[in-house]
Amino acid sequence: MTAVKLTLDRLTKQYRAGLAPAVDRLDMEVEEGHLVALLGPSGCGKTTTLRMVAGLMDPTAGRIVVDGRDITATPVHERGMGMVFQSYALFPHMDVAANVAFGLQMRRVAKSKQTELVRNALDMVKLGHLASRHPKELSGGQQQRVALARALVVEPTLLLLDEPLSNLDAKLRETMRTEIRSIQRRTGATTLFVTHDQDEALDMADRIAVMNGGLIEQFGTPADIYERPRTRFVADFIGRANLFEASVAAASGTGSKGETVYRIDVPGIGTSEAIGEAGLEGSQRTVLVRPHRVQVELGAQPGGLTGTIENVSYTGDALGYSIRLGDVLLQVERHTADGTIPARGEQATVRWAAEDAYVLPEEVRAP
Amino acid sequence: MTATQAIRTVAQGEHPPLQRSAEERRSRTRQRRTFWLLAAPAILGLFGSFVAPLLYMVRMAFNRGSSDGVIEETFTLDTFARAVEDPYYWKVTLDTFLMGLTVAVLCVIVAYPIALFLMRSQSRFKSVLIALAIAPLLTSAVVRTYGWMVILGGGGLINGTLIDLGLITIPLQLANNFTGVIIGLTEIFMPYAILAMMSGFGKLDPRLEEAAGSLGANRIRTFLKVTLPLSLPGALAAGLLVFVLAISTFVTPRLLGGGAVRVLATEIYDQATGLINWPFAAALSILLLLLFGAMIAGYQALVRKLGIDR
Repeated sequence: MTAVKLTLDRLTKQYRAGLAPAVDRLDMEVEEGHLVALLGPSGCGKTTTLRMVAGLMDPTAGRIVVDGRDITATPVHERGMGMVFQSYALFPHMDVAANVAFGLQMRRVAKSKQTELVRNALDMVKLGHLASRHPKELSGGQQQRVALARALVVEPTLLLLDEPLSNLDAKLRETMRTEIRSIQRRTGATTLFVTHDQDEALDMADRIAVMNGGLIEQFGTPADIYERPRTRFVADFIGRANLFEASVAAASGTGSKGETVYRIDVPGIGTSEAIGEAGLEGSQRTVLVRPHRVQVELGAQPGGLTGTIENVSYTGDALGYSIRLGDVLLQVERHTADGTIPARGEQATVRWAAEDAYVLPEEVRAP
Repeated sequence: MTATQAIRTVAQGEHPPLQRSAEERRSRTRQRRTFWLLAAPAILGLFGSFVAPLLYMVRMAFNRGSSDGVIEETFTLDTFARAVEDPYYWKVTLDTFLMGLTVAVLCVIVAYPIALFLMRSQSRFKSVLIALAIAPLLTSAVVRTYGWMVILGGGGLINGTLIDLGLITIPLQLANNFTGVIIGLTEIFMPYAILAMMSGFGKLDPRLEEAAGSLGANRIRTFLKVTLPLSLPGALAAGLLVFVLAISTFVTPRLLGGGAVRVLATEIYDQATGLINWPFAAALSILLLLLFGAMIAGYQALVRKLGIDR
């Protein structure tokens, strides 16, 4: 078992009395060496959480514990965090080397040692040749690397990244993703990463905390979050999703990963199968089916749910269908190699393997 | 040449002619004409109200004046010789310079925290606070100078209070000297300094201070290493503005100085209106202009040396 690096204990931030808290009694444990993404829409409290961990903002209540030590009251400059800001916040009046050396200077590291560490840090982000440039003379990607080197050179207790990729263009973002991830692995820095981009989170993180309205909706591995979302919000926020309500009937078996296979009854459409946690028989639940997990056949076929094709979209690699099944408009995505392009208004039959449909553990919220 | 033609020429491997077409040239001429038409009122206004009087003043400095107010049209360097040879005017010039510098430095020191606070304020009343800070501009400098005379005078507010408290018996000499003028000018030019600094602080991103903090700098080191260097250009610009205003002001040195404070502005006034020696007043004005120029050159050298114009 690995050591716990960071613990958030009922961490709360309320900007003003009477206002809904921006972060509401947040509990979280981050393991040493992990990269954890705080993922959520804007205003979900992810940046507030990060800023409280950094010490840039005082929590209203709760505790922040790092390496078993309560640092809730420790001022920012004594926390030893390495922070990368969304705008990078490089010091415009210093050259790249001086920017990177700043943290070492504050720690009163010997000059010769500073030079060596700065050189190593800049080599790590492949910017050794630009040490005497000023931030203004660098591209966005280069500034980002300098910010990363500046945060890492001090061997921070935690590396905190606040939307570090959002100011880069799409192509560079992909490259930097891989690069940040590999630097993080090499240095072993435990990292908190704020993002609103689910692809980024799925791609980079060891664990993802999906946040909504100041609460963590789910904390788990990317696969968990994607395949086994606990709430409708998570299912909807991560990836594309078909979500519909169904009555969960009797259990009919056990899935390959130990989940229970249920027969489900979708009102006005028909019956099918889905898997889920044990003990959901007889309840109303939301069922998740990812569009690319749905199989589709043209015409009315036995043993599936038959509906009408309302829309077809062709994107080269894939074909997207919108298939009307009673009240549900099911999104389906298939590879184009699968066959001919059907016309709108045609009948189609959809089906899915029990393992490809998931009954959410969350109770259906009253509308 | 039409676009199709141009494409064809390029396609055939010829270079399009470098000469501009007649149409293009006509449109450029038209643009230039529009520019001069639009700029004409400003240029005429500036020439009539600023350049022409300045040239007239320069010409005037080469005339010969006398104490009976007669101006002799000639071309002589007498006035300049007098200003340079008489040590009195050296002292006046030096006093003017020192007064301007002191007021500028004091003004920047006092206004800096206010400007920084107003910049950083998250208060709902921020705009009200800014309005309050610059509200003194609504009152004329003359009125405010009289106010300071009341406060600083021998039987004024400060001396009265100190005497009543028994701390002093003889009133402090706060007015009718340089001390009074400097106190008065510092307060009078503070709003300008605040405004100049607030616009000069534009680049001061609070994220930079947060970054410094996260890297281990406490508040003092953050201020010295990040805030101060980045706010220096704004502070210097404000200082220059106040200096220029201070050395050219006449009312406050005259009134709060009580005749004991002799600076170039009061000297010029006396020569021009009291002694009606316009040529000499003009020569002193040119001296003041040179002081301006020297200060601006010094400022630019400083900015370049600090490398903060980047």
